[in-house]
Amino acid sequence: MEDIIKVENLTKDYGENKGVFNISFNVKKGEVFGFVGTNGSGKTTIIRHIMGFLKPQKGEIKVLGLDSWKNSCEIKKNVEYIPGEIAFPDLRDGTTFLKNQAELLGLADMSYANKLIEKLQLDTSANLKRMSKGMKQKTAIVAALMADKDIIILDEPTTGLDPLMRETFLDIILEEKSKGKTIIMSSQMFDELEITCDRVALILDGKIIDIADIKELKNLPYKLFKIEFLSHEDFIKFKKFKYKIVRVQEQYNQFTIQVDNSKINKLFKDLKNFKLKFISEVKKDLEKHFKEVLTEFYKKNDIVLKPTKSGKEDVKHDK
Amino acid sequence: MINRALFKQSCKAHWIKWLSVTLSTCVMLMIVIIVLGNLGINDIRDSLKNVFVQADQESSLKENSVDGYESYFTMIDGYSAIESKAPLLAFLQPQFDNQIDELEGQGIEATKEVRAQIIVTMVSGIIESGAAAGFGMDESLVKVFLTNYLTVYSDAQLEGTSLTDEKLLSDAYCNTIYQVTYQDAIANGKSEEEALVQASSSSYICQDAVASYNKNKSNSEYNYSADATNCVNLLMQTQAEQSLAGSGMTEDEIKQYGVAVKVISNTAINTYQLWLNELGDTEDAKVEAKSQATKSISDEIPEKVAVALQELGNMDMYGLIIGSIFYRIAGLLLPMVFVIMTANGLLAGQVDSGSMAYVLSTPTKRRTVTVTQLAYLVFALFSMFAMLTVFSVIAVAIAGGNNFAINYSEILLLNAGAFLTMFAIAGFCFMCSALFNRTKHSLSIGGGLTIFSLVCTILGLFGSTVVPSAMRISSMDFFNYLSIITFFDTVSILNGTLSYLWKFGVLLGIGIVCIIIGVFRFDKKDLPL
Repeated sequence: MEDIIKVENLTKDYGENKGVFNISFNVKKGEVFGFVGTNGSGKTTIIRHIMGFLKPQKGEIKVLGLDSWKNSCEIKKNVEYIPGEIAFPDLRDGTTFLKNQAELLGLADMSYANKLIEKLQLDTSANLKRMSKGMKQKTAIVAALMADKDIIILDEPTTGLDPLMRETFLDIILEEKSKGKTIIMSSQMFDELEITCDRVALILDGKIIDIADIKELKNLPYKLFKIEFLSHEDFIKFKKFKYKIVRVQEQYNQFTIQVDNSKINKLFKDLKNFKLKFISEVKKDLEKHFKEVLTEFYKKNDIVLKPTKSGKEDVKHDK
Repeated sequence: MINRALFKQSCKAHWIKWLSVTLSTCVMLMIVIIVLGNLGINDIRDSLKNVFVQADQESSLKENSVDGYESYFTMIDGYSAIESKAPLLAFLQPQFDNQIDELEGQGIEATKEVRAQIIVTMVSGIIESGAAAGFGMDESLVKVFLTNYLTVYSDAQLEGTSLTDEKLLSDAYCNTIYQVTYQDAIANGKSEEEALVQASSSSYICQDAVASYNKNKSNSEYNYSADATNCVNLLMQTQAEQSLAGSGMTEDEIKQYGVAVKVISNTAINTYQLWLNELGDTEDAKVEAKSQATKSISDEIPEKVAVALQELGNMDMYGLIIGSIFYRIAGLLLPMVFVIMTANGLLAGQVDSGSMAYVLSTPTKRRTVTVTQLAYLVFALFSMFAMLTVFSVIAVAIAGGNNFAINYSEILLLNAGAFLTMFAIAGFCFMCSALFNRTKHSLSIGGGLTIFSLVCTILGLFGSTVVPSAMRISSMDFFNYLSIITFFDTVSILNGTLSYLWKFGVLLGIGIVCIIIGVFRFDKKDLPL
C-alpha cells in the first residue's frame, strides 16, 4: 500500500534535550497510527511538523508526496486537524464558529456536521467562552471532522471527555477508519490507542523508542496463564513440569507461565491432578508491552528508574 | 489574497471595540470644536493683542508730538536764519518783473506756465553764478527756497493781491518745508499718503512757528514753549479727529477721542520738557528725554515679559487645542488603544491562544491570513477616520464654517494626517503581532512603544513652539525627537506651509515597511499551533 505520510529523519532541536530527534516513520493509506509518550516527549512537535506549522531543522516530511512545509496549504485540502490546545476564535457561540469554519473550508453541505453534532450530543448554541472543557473538545471534533477529508490528525483528542463520550468518540474514529481514512493520533491512554490504532509509536525525550504493531501484539504465538494452587505441596510439585515461568509469587502459591499455543492442551492434562484455586489467562496489552520495552531500554542505556512519591515511575538519566 | 470568511470573523471579533472607540472619539472631537467655537477662547488673547496695538499707537503718537515740538524750534531757527539773509533776496523781485515786462513787450502773455519757466531759468542761473553760497545753506535747499519764493511772488501778482515782505518770506519758507518733508518721507520708503500727511503736518507747524516768531521777534527773551505745545496738541487732535471722520462714530465720540489724543500729546511734551530741564540742552539729553517721554506700556515692562505677553497675544488657541492637543494627543489615544489591541488580536493573540490553528488547518495560506487581517485593520482604521472626518466637518460647520479659526481644508488635512499617523502605528503594531508568538511580547513592544510615543508627544508639547515662551521649557523639545507623532506636523498644516507633505510621506513609508517585514516574517516562522 502507498505511504500517505512519510517522515524521514525529522529533527528539531530546542536545546536542553528538548525537541525531536531523527524521527522516521511511514503511515500507509487506511492505517491508524498512534503516538504515546509522557508530557513534553515531543508528540505535539511531530504533529505540528506534519501540519506544516513548524519548519524542520533536518529531514523532511511528505504528505501525499508533498513537502509539508513548502506545500502546507495544498496538503490541508486533504487533512483535518484537532489541535491539542483548544482555543477558539473570538466569536459568539458554537454555531457561528462552525459556520465560519465551514466557510473557511469551503464547505456547503453541513449534513455530516449535523450528524456528528447529534452523535456527540453537542449544544452548539452555547457561548464559546463559557463552554466546559468537554464541550469545547466536542466542538473542536465537529469543526475538524465535518469536512470529511482523507487524512485526520488528532492531538490528544479525548482529553476532557467523560468516559461515555470517550466511547462515542472512539466509535466515530473507528467509523472513520472503516471508511478507509488515514489517521494519526496522539494520546496518553494506552487503551484507546489499542482499540483504534494499527500501529503505535512510543516516544521518549523526542525519540521513537519502539513502534508496536497492535495486530501482532494480539496474535502472539504463546499465551500467559496465572495459576494459583490450593496447597503449597502442589505448588512445589508443579515446578517439575518445567513450563516457562514468567513470575513467581510464592506467598500466594501463584505462578505466571508462558505456554505456546500448541501446548495448551498439554497444560490442562498436566493440571488434571492438581487442586487449583483459579486459572486465568493474562492478556499482553500495549501498556505491558511498552513497559517491557522501556525496562529493556533503560537497562541498555544505564538509566535508573526511581519510584516517585505518587507511585509513578520517574525517569532519571545516569550520566 | 483576502479571505472573506476570515475577514468576517475579524469584523465580528472587533466591532464592539471599533464602535465604542469611534463614537467616543467623534463625540470628543465635536465637543472640542463646537464648545471652543462658542466660548470665544480668543477674547482674552484679542484684548491682550489690543493692549500692544494701543501701546504701539500711543507710542507713535507721543513720538510725533515730541518730534513736532522739536521741529517747532528748528523751524523758528531756520526762518530767522533766512530772514537775516533777506537783503540777498532784494534783487529777485525787480529782475523777475523785468523779465515779465520784456515778454509782455513782445506781446507774449505771461501765463502761469510761462512764469514757471522763467522761474526755473532764473533760479538755475543764480545757482550757477554761485550766489547761493551767501545763504550759508545747502545748495539744493537754496534752489527749492528760491523757486518757492518767486512762485509765491508770481502767484500773488497773478491774483492781483499784494504781499508784505514778511508774508512772502514766511510762505516761501513753509512751502519749502512742505516739499522737503515730502521728498524725505518718500526717500525713506513711506507711502504717498503717509508722506502727504507728514508734509502737511510740518507745514502746519511751520506756519504757526513763523507766525509766532514774527509776532514776538522784537522780544529776544520770548519763550516759545507754550506756543509750540499748543500748536502740536492742536495738530494731533485735529489729525485724530480727521482720521475717524466717516468711521461710523458719532461726533461726540470723535471729539472725545480727539481730546484724549490731545491729552496724551500734551503729557508727552510736558514730560519731554521736564526731562530736558533736568538733563540740560545737549543733543544726548534730547535723545534721552525723547525716549523717556515716548514710553508706552510695552516699554515699561521688562523686555522678556513683553515678548512673552506679545506672543501670548499672537498665539493661535484653536490651533493649539484642536491641532496640537486633540489631533496629536487626545484624539489619538483611543484609536491607539484600538490598534494595539486589534493588531495583537489579529495574529499574535490567535497564535498564542492556539485559535489560529482552526484557520491554518483549512486550505488557507499564511500570506492570505496576514493580508486579510491587515486589510481588516486598515479598513477599520480608515472607516474610523472617515467617521471622524464627517463628524469634524459637521462640527466646524456648526462652529462657523470657513469663518471659524480652522477652515474645511485644514480640518480635512488634520484628519488625513491623523489617519496616516495611525496607519504608521498600526503597521508597527501589526509587525510586532506578526513577529511574536506571544501576546505579552507583541503587546509590550508594539503597545509599549506606541504609548511611549504618545507620552513623548505630551512631554514634547511643553517644549514645542506652539506653547507660548512663558510656558515653554525648550529642553522638553527633545522628547519630540523620540516620537513617531512628530511626523504629523499640525503646525505646518495650520500655518499653510507645505512641510507637512514630506512628513506624511515618511509616515506612509514607516507603515508600509513595517507591514512588509511583518507579512514576510510570518510566512517563514514557526507557529506553535
